Amino acid sequence: MSAHDSPVPSPFAGLGRGLDRAVTRGMNTVTGGAIAPYQSAIVRIGFSLTWLLFLLREFPHRVELYGPDAPWSWDLAKQLVAGNHAFTVLLWTDSRAWFEIVYAFAIVASVMLLLGWRTRTASVLFMIGVLSLQNRSVFEGDGGDNVIHLMAIYLVFTRCGKVWSLDRRLAVRRAAKAADVGGAADLGKATEAGADPVGIALWTVFGVALLAASLAGKLSTGWALLFWAFWLIQAVWWAVRRVAPGEPHTVLDIIADIVHNGAMLVIVVEVCLIYSTAGWYKIQGGAWQDGTALYYPLHLDDFSPWPALSHTLAGNDLAVMLITYGTVIVQVAFPFTLFNRRVKNVLLVAMMLEHASIALVLGLPFFSLAMIAADAVFLPTGFLVWAADRLLRRLRPGGGRPAAVVHEQGAAGPEQDVRPEQDVRPAGPADPAVGPPQTGAVT
Amino acid sequence: MEPFEGPPPRTAALSTPGRIAVAVAIGTVAVGALFHLGMVFLHVAPSNTLSKEHTQAVSDYVYPEFEQNWKLFAPEPLQQNIHVQARAEVRGTDGNLSTTGWVDLTGQDIDAMRHNPFPSHTQQNELRRAWSFYTDTHDDKEQPNSGDRSDMSRTYLQRIVRERFGPRLNGGDVVRVQARSATTPIPQPSWGGTRQPAPGTVYRELPWWPVNAAPAAQENAS
Repeated sequence: MSAHDSPVPSPFAGLGRGLDRAVTRGMNTVTGGAIAPYQSAIVRIGFSLTWLLFLLREFPHRVELYGPDAPWSWDLAKQLVAGNHAFTVLLWTDSRAWFEIVYAFAIVASVMLLLGWRTRTASVLFMIGVLSLQNRSVFEGDGGDNVIHLMAIYLVFTRCGKVWSLDRRLAVRRAAKAADVGGAADLGKATEAGADPVGIALWTVFGVALLAASLAGKLSTGWALLFWAFWLIQAVWWAVRRVAPGEPHTVLDIIADIVHNGAMLVIVVEVCLIYSTAGWYKIQGGAWQDGTALYYPLHLDDFSPWPALSHTLAGNDLAVMLITYGTVIVQVAFPFTLFNRRVKNVLLVAMMLEHASIALVLGLPFFSLAMIAADAVFLPTGFLVWAADRLLRRLRPGGGRPAAVVHEQGAAGPEQDVRPEQDVRPAGPADPAVGPPQTGAVT
Repeated sequence: MEPFEGPPPRTAALSTPGRIAVAVAIGTVAVGALFHLGMVFLHVAPSNTLSKEHTQAVSDYVYPEFEQNWKLFAPEPLQQNIHVQARAEVRGTDGNLSTTGWVDLTGQDIDAMRHNPFPSHTQQNELRRAWSFYTDTHDDKEQPNSGDRSDMSRTYLQRIVRERFGPRLNGGDVVRVQARSATTPIPQPSWGGTRQPAPGTVYRELPWWPVNAAPAAQENAS
């Protein structure tokens, strides 16, 4: 009060500078490497595993679901797709053999993506498999198929094979071999040197397939552009790696990271949108307001494979009310908890447990597994690395030896190039350079 | 705050063309990601001034590949069990026609799902979604009200019913089939009975469908 002759300092002083700094920091982050390599890997593994298990489980029912003589017949599907222009290779011909080939192709693509072998290519093949089957018979799907559908598209744009992948392992092995031979301990140099004959063979095969599909007029303009672009990018990537490993390569690498980071943002926001809308729709319903909503699905015949369990739970009024309210609260609140790491992690555990219970109680195992895979994008790096380490130690009878994935820095596959100097975000405290909403994906 | 921690940014060492390429990439990805998320948001958000103005553009973008369907059990969980049932008219070897009793097709699916931790989509989704597709595209007098989609939904339901019965039944040929729904409200919870008391099972009977006339051929002709 005595200092009323000196002006009160403006709370906005330094705002411009702070903003500048934030923008610079943001730019450095999105160009500085692939954000959240472990989270993108767990999403890749989660969704490819879910779809693989689904395809194997439905193997005896595959003809009824997607075959040319399915109740949703080839003609019906053709008619519907003619109107909405959905992508599916299954409608290229109504031959039974083609259907079997596509189903097997979808299984193989899932295994490729799961293992992270030629991850970039695998992600495109996986998307083709998912879209072809789901768009062939949309009326056989549910919410679980919907999430897989979206993530199959988004994953194509991520560098999801940087860790926990065969690509990664092979790159490490090649680097070790190179170090033994020529003393070049540089992981990056070692992978850059390879001509990659298998890659060239695959690229040629897909080029021929793509050309055939294009000439036969099977692809819409948009999809043709997308697939040809992917095919060309693979060639450019290979050529630059071989011919111009200097700056052109660095620029390509940075651009790939930028695309990855954009796709991760889309995945994170998509998961938030799923929870928000599910929560907001529920709030509008009377049964969710008076706390009885859970009671009804537990009495729906289609969703109670274990009636005794369902009816016991439905008979407990307190449990029904708590779970009904809890579900809405968690779904509506989740996106906002991303600003606080601790609260976010608590809610994440709650959601994963709820989905695990849904798998059993409502008989929706693949929906639940897909949602858990989506939730996993928000798991902390420290937890993921620790869990993988535990898992690997258990799998290896010898134990002892620390898991390779944990300590190798800077990850990539033969198609993705390795930058050993770049540090994969370590387990530990939150990276201060990354603000929400990515915080959730990174920390 | 002091200068940034960690190594200098990767872009620092780039030439001008390199930096331009990176800047263009950032701009393109940012615009693309925000456009995509904006469209998806407008699609899931309640109808508002912006989404009303651009309804067509939003659904053109979102359908078919970015569909968002997160309304399971919302806003109201389904409060009734809908069973699709069907019966068939069979011509025996003696040439006489006989009609079977109603067969609970949904009930058969439920039996198959019972105590099965991995129910198949063919049991859990097929009839359920086919029936709701049919009722969404037909009025309560069974008249089509959605053009081609009505025809598709009717053909689909017919094919499911015919497939479940097969071409031969009780030693005779299936001549025609008929479907109905049996809707039974779930009894109100004893502790939260704020809504109407449940009436009994309500049936919705569809017309008889001949089996021999191939619906696919009809469709192409129409």
